[in-house]
Amino acid sequence: MKKLLVGLCGLLAAAALFGIMGLTFMDVMGRKFFSGSIPGALELTEILMVVVIFTSLPLVALNGEHVVFDSLDRWLPAPLQRAQQAFMEGFSAAAMAGLSWLMWGKAGDLLSYGETTAQLKMPLGLFVYVMSALLALAALAHVIVLLSPVPVHHMGVPDEGRAP
Amino acid sequence: MTAALLGFAAVFVLALLRMPLAFAMGSVGFVGLGLVRGWPPTMANAAQVLFDTGFAYTLSVVPLFILMGNLVARAGLAHELFRAAYALIGHLRGGLAHATVLACAGFGAICGSSIATAATMSKVAYPPMKQLGYADYLSTGVISAGGTLGIMIPPSTILVIYGIVTETNIGKLFAAGVLPGLVCAGLLMLGVSWIVWRDPQAGPAGERATAAERWAALRGIWGVVLLVIVVLGGIYGGFFTATEGAGIGAFGAFLFAWFRRTLSFAVLRDVLVESARTTAMLFTILIAAQIFSSFVNYTTMPGDMKDWILHQGFTPLMVVAAMMMIYVLLGTIMEELSMVLLTIPVFFPIVVGLGFDPVWFGVLIVLVVQVGLISPPVGMNMFVMNALLKDVPLMAIFRGSALFCGPLFVGLVLVLLFPQLALWLPGFMK
Repeated sequence: MKKLLVGLCGLLAAAALFGIMGLTFMDVMGRKFFSGSIPGALELTEILMVVVIFTSLPLVALNGEHVVFDSLDRWLPAPLQRAQQAFMEGFSAAAMAGLSWLMWGKAGDLLSYGETTAQLKMPLGLFVYVMSALLALAALAHVIVLLSPVPVHHMGVPDEGRAP
Repeated sequence: MTAALLGFAAVFVLALLRMPLAFAMGSVGFVGLGLVRGWPPTMANAAQVLFDTGFAYTLSVVPLFILMGNLVARAGLAHELFRAAYALIGHLRGGLAHATVLACAGFGAICGSSIATAATMSKVAYPPMKQLGYADYLSTGVISAGGTLGIMIPPSTILVIYGIVTETNIGKLFAAGVLPGLVCAGLLMLGVSWIVWRDPQAGPAGERATAAERWAALRGIWGVVLLVIVVLGGIYGGFFTATEGAGIGAFGAFLFAWFRRTLSFAVLRDVLVESARTTAMLFTILIAAQIFSSFVNYTTMPGDMKDWILHQGFTPLMVVAAMMMIYVLLGTIMEELSMVLLTIPVFFPIVVGLGFDPVWFGVLIVLVVQVGLISPPVGMNMFVMNALLKDVPLMAIFRGSALFCGPLFVGLVLVLLFPQLALWLPGFMK
């Protein structure tokens, strides 16, 4: 389960970020040197941003990478610390689930108003459903960490044995 | 006023109880706004914040700059920067430490994160310093302090986000960071000189490089120089926006890494996913901070604070100095971005009300964050060093970092007293 989540989200996030990079580069080149931008590049970038951010949320949760103040950990007895971590993961899962529910409602509203993107006329509601689904996956990821805790991981500091 | 103060207190308590900072800010903001304004508009507001922050073209500048830095780091460019700096000044006493500062400054011109700069440089600069018999406190102190140049010298993740939330021009903020960044680098090198003057054993001189070696080492860094000139030059010159510049920079770094054969498919995927994860972590904080600030802005606190301070007859400089003190205190329990985003709804109207330039204030924030990153016992850069260099005692890292707090603090005071340091370069931009 965890492996599937990591693999799938990782692949989507990587592809979307690579897409933003390529799209921005080509769009600028086209505009500056060939007098023509890519139609809808702006809104494609926006949609890809949603994919990058929200597919990475489960990964951040699974890696324990949300920023926490953990300097007090040294002075806390181990059992208390475990209980504390479990509670915070549970809370995070609930918060993500709540946001997922909010976005589900928002998606329905946007679809019923017939809101679309400006140039390519794609229905915005669909992408908000995607947001909502990915937030639900993030909630699931926090539950997975609740059941099998991971150590806190500071962003930018490579783990042992992991490539930098 | 009381509601907002209770909100701030609740965020700190939850953070101390180890709730992730983003969740602490977001949940307090949500509950707070719900109580003062009612639940249906609060829920609509939260959904709107998520929607707007997710679908934001200008924010794509964040992952693109992160990606650029990570690609260049993976291409091994930090090694070459360090080699070039060493070839130039390695023969001085403390030369490797001086070279580390220069290489950090160079790397900071591609990388917008101090943690990434410190992490990269500790792999590059620590082993040669160890080999030459440098004292651990000097080598680790200079790397952790040099790493902070990553957020001062543009691009800078924290300036980008500050620019977006306060609607300040990112290009101007970047231009404003250049001189203070160079001043800080110079002050750090003075710090190195002072340390090796007091303790000559701490940093012995290396061998003098021949002219041919220097030339060869300098030629090795043409790629990074080109990338910096195109990206930052393009943004300053108004040839493209910060977002476009970031896209070009990331693509250039990708080509660069590709031609140096440092990118397999698996490595590329790793770099992309790592950058995406960092982005998501930052955006969680950004979204949560916006939910919190919609609560604070709904209360009367920002207005009350502003009126009170403007009518007390404090000198403007005193007010800003007091804000810097608050940042130093907050820095002991908060990560830098959360701390900046948390305080902006209250501080920013005051700064603008006092007639200060938001660009200058942004640079000051970065400077105070730099000091916070290396002040024991909580600065993040020291823990990065501690995690990466397992055989160095934490106390040596603390001691070295504490010594280098001085030069960075002097830099902060200089920019506080002489705003021209930050505002001179952006003055040339349209």
